[in-house]
Amino acid sequence: MKFAIALFSAAHAPSSRRALLFAQAALAGGHEIVRLFFYQDGVYNASASVVTPQDELDVPKQWRAFVSEHQLDGVVCIAAALRRGVLNEEEAGRYQRDAVAVGAPWELSGLGQLHDAVQDADRLICFGGA
Amino acid sequence: MSTLHVLSHSPFGDDRLSSCLRVIGANDALLLSGDAVYALQPGTAPFNTLNTRALNLFVLAEDVQARSIETPDWAKAIDYPAFVDLSIHHDKVNSWL
Amino acid sequence: MPKSLLIISRQAPWSGPNAREALDIVLAGGAFDLPIGLLFLDDGVFQLAAKQDAKALQQKDLSANLQALPMFGVDELFVCADSAAERGLDPNSLPLEEARTLTAPEITALIDRYDQVITL
Repeated sequence: MKFAIALFSAAHAPSSRRALLFAQAALAGGHEIVRLFFYQDGVYNASASVVTPQDELDVPKQWRAFVSEHQLDGVVCIAAALRRGVLNEEEAGRYQRDAVAVGAPWELSGLGQLHDAVQDADRLICFGGA
Repeated sequence: MSTLHVLSHSPFGDDRLSSCLRVIGANDALLLSGDAVYALQPGTAPFNTLNTRALNLFVLAEDVQARSIETPDWAKAIDYPAFVDLSIHHDKVNSWL
Repeated sequence: MPKSLLIISRQAPWSGPNAREALDIVLAGGAFDLPIGLLFLDDGVFQLAAKQDAKALQQKDLSANLQALPMFGVDELFVCADSAAERGLDPNSLPLEEARTLTAPEITALIDRYDQVITL
């Protein structure tokens, strides 16, 4: 089965960890993840600027490792990211901002990528809220 | 056709559970995750509501375990692999974000 | 046959970016000519209330975008009758004329009809 997984909550939200565990279980079960799409506060999961206390689960780091290891398509919605200050080098240059918060393996792109994933996948599952 | 509904908010002071129960179909399933598992706290209105509705009710095992909430026999506690299977068994997943 | 996507919008117009970002998903889908439906449920029905003055909050007025949805090819618009009634809104006199009022069983059938759903 092909899954599209969309995440709407920030890294510290319990739903973000659940999304990660679901994604891991999907791959472990022999399924495919066509895309991870981070929208709304989900964009914070891709931020390299997040500093997680030593005694807490580092969700952004775990996402990064997961996406890199399995060479997944990790897309961050550009409009949601800009609004929340999660800029890559290109956007930081365009808007003359000092902080570059996101880089590889994440890609900033539009909502078309979410729709594309919905069309391609057998199942769309969204995580977020709480 | 059937839908897997997923809730993750506490039912106390939030209307997602009641809204979900208004539109959930006879063949649908409901998975309680995160704070939504508080709906299984005995002696509460959500508990009684869920008990009386004939639902295909699932709960994320890690969340009832963390909160020391007992899974009643009319609900099934599942792990992540079973969560994946459930999302495939039903035609789509509706997470109430 | 493209897969159809139902967006269920449950938040009031200015309770954070939710209403705006739900609408953005709908508009993007319309722009790609995809079959998109939009249901206003719970506090989402407040997005359709008349005489809103977004400027008073220095916020964007979404009602113009909502009125423009059919032009984007999105004409499957729905309102939950119960949600409107509970919130003192007459579903039959909401400014968005294309929106069909649905009862709870009709919403169950609506969700069934679509291939995928996002509720936010």
